[in-house]
Amino acid sequence: MATIELVNLTKRYRQGPHTITALDGVDLRIESGDFVSIVGRSGSGKTTLLDLTGLLLRPSSGTVLLDGAETAGLSDGRRADLRGRRLGFIFQEYNLLPALNVLENVTLACRYAGLDRREGRQRARQLLDLVGLAERLNHGPDQLSGGQQQRVAIARALVNRPALVLADEPTGAVDTQTADELLGLMRRLNREEGVTFVVVTHDLDLAGRTDRMVRLQDGVVVSDERLNAA
Amino acid sequence: MREIFSNLLRRKLRSTLTVSGIVIGIFALTTMGSLAEHFNSLLDIGVRYAGAAIPVQAPPEQQGALLPLSKQAELARVQGVSAVYPGYTVQARPGGSAIQLGAPDLIVNQQAGAEQYGLPGPKFAAGRNLAPGQQGEIILGPTIAGDLGKRTGDTVNLPVKPPGAREDFVSHPFKVAGVLTKNGQTDTFAYVSDADARMLLADTLSPTVRSAIDVNTVAQSFTVFPTKGTSLNEMDAIAARVNEQVPGVHAQKPSELVANFKSAGSTFTAIFTGAAILALIIGGLSVVNTMIMAVSERIREIGLKKAVGAHTGQILREYMLEAAVIGALGGLIGYGIGLGLTTLLDVLGASSNLDIFLVTPRLTAIALGFAIGMATLAGIVPALRAARLDPVTALRSL
Repeated sequence: MATIELVNLTKRYRQGPHTITALDGVDLRIESGDFVSIVGRSGSGKTTLLDLTGLLLRPSSGTVLLDGAETAGLSDGRRADLRGRRLGFIFQEYNLLPALNVLENVTLACRYAGLDRREGRQRARQLLDLVGLAERLNHGPDQLSGGQQQRVAIARALVNRPALVLADEPTGAVDTQTADELLGLMRRLNREEGVTFVVVTHDLDLAGRTDRMVRLQDGVVVSDERLNAA
Repeated sequence: MREIFSNLLRRKLRSTLTVSGIVIGIFALTTMGSLAEHFNSLLDIGVRYAGAAIPVQAPPEQQGALLPLSKQAELARVQGVSAVYPGYTVQARPGGSAIQLGAPDLIVNQQAGAEQYGLPGPKFAAGRNLAPGQQGEIILGPTIAGDLGKRTGDTVNLPVKPPGAREDFVSHPFKVAGVLTKNGQTDTFAYVSDADARMLLADTLSPTVRSAIDVNTVAQSFTVFPTKGTSLNEMDAIAARVNEQVPGVHAQKPSELVANFKSAGSTFTAIFTGAAILALIIGGLSVVNTMIMAVSERIREIGLKKAVGAHTGQILREYMLEAAVIGALGGLIGYGIGLGLTTLLDVLGASSNLDIFLVTPRLTAIALGFAIGMATLAGIVPALRAARLDPVTALRSL
């Protein structure tokens, strides 16, 4: 199982003549099997932290270590390989491809990772069964509710058995009841499958139900507390 | 592939318009191309004929005059000449419309054995060649056979008596010995023996001329063959010697004829190229526009694909494949419509020998290859734009 370590991670953006520091020397270690929430106000650097951890962005300085291996110097192609094989993503807006059905959306990552097609489909069916969508394999995303679409996105994030799943406001576009169900689902996958989750949210109630809450403010970690989640 | 078709179906109107643009271009390419292929094939046989034989006729000041058959022996004595055939040509259906768009139906004497000097031999769809020394037999090209409704073994009366013909107009019965395969070049020809050709020639002469000459001692022209493989320069030299040594005839330099054919061929090639450029502009712009729109609409999808591990090259290939599929669809439809229309026009025009289109395997390959290649090429820039998108920017786009 993997450990993800952020070492003195800094990200600066140029905005016209100004330089904005979105993340400023963040050190964070996420152990395998953790269920971590990152909270903070808008502009605190939550999403930047998620993008850097997910190897979608390159840091201005510092590095992300995946199982102790340095990732900052990797090529774009190698970073894409790592994203495909070791990381999973869940987005607020689900980001399902409308041209593909549920099963094809879930197996999308297998396509790019060059994994065995049959094995990928089998794994996708298992996951869709797990998230309660076994009967909707051939449905298009537009035939599903928001909560169901997010369940598909969760299955998609897990299809390649990633070391870490990064979720960006995963319950931000659904009602409270559906949000509870989705959180329960992620919690179950964390416990039963040992999947490591890092959830970015501004919902403190949701964050309070994770194992660990990291609070960001102005690009700096201001608190990192272990919770006694249910 | 299902994703590509699904994406195309998501924007039906735009996809239809784009494919239509390619359809128009490839339709133009197919029709213009088949026209060019037809005429180029005619020119090809002209080039082959001109490169293998030296046509000898009456001098320009006596154009159309009959030549004494004795000239055959004189021509045969010229250095470099291997064989000399007399030539006779009469119309199979005289008195037709003054405006003839297609090739006329002609009866000519068969130059038996000319294939040994480099001309293509006859290829039979049915039947056999003329029996040596046998009169009253005829070989029909496929078009004239169709026009006359005759098959091997039938009897055909030729020339066909036109309405309002003179009382003394004569048609002779010929037994159809064979029907040739279609070659796009001599399909309207009928072949008879020298003796039958002279008999038919006699019928075309006025009574005064006919009584004044023995038709068995004249020819309308001669075809002089050097040894197979003789170069064009040497053939020109033979033609010059003919003009020097045989009075009362004029041999045309083969190189001049070949140059004329090639010059005509370049005109048709220009037409074909024009159609191709038209296809390129219409189809190419349609594809570029559609693919740019597709990339703009699917930025988040591209970001998502990159997030789940897609490489730049994989995204590039996906979008180029989509462009290629659009090209293939447009190409197939455009080619199909072009093929259908040219076939229909050829069938409708068959009665007036207006067989002017020739869809060759080469043209098929060019039309479809061009459609796919052009669309793929047009898709490169939008595909590169998609492939190079930064995943974070793409994912967070509205």
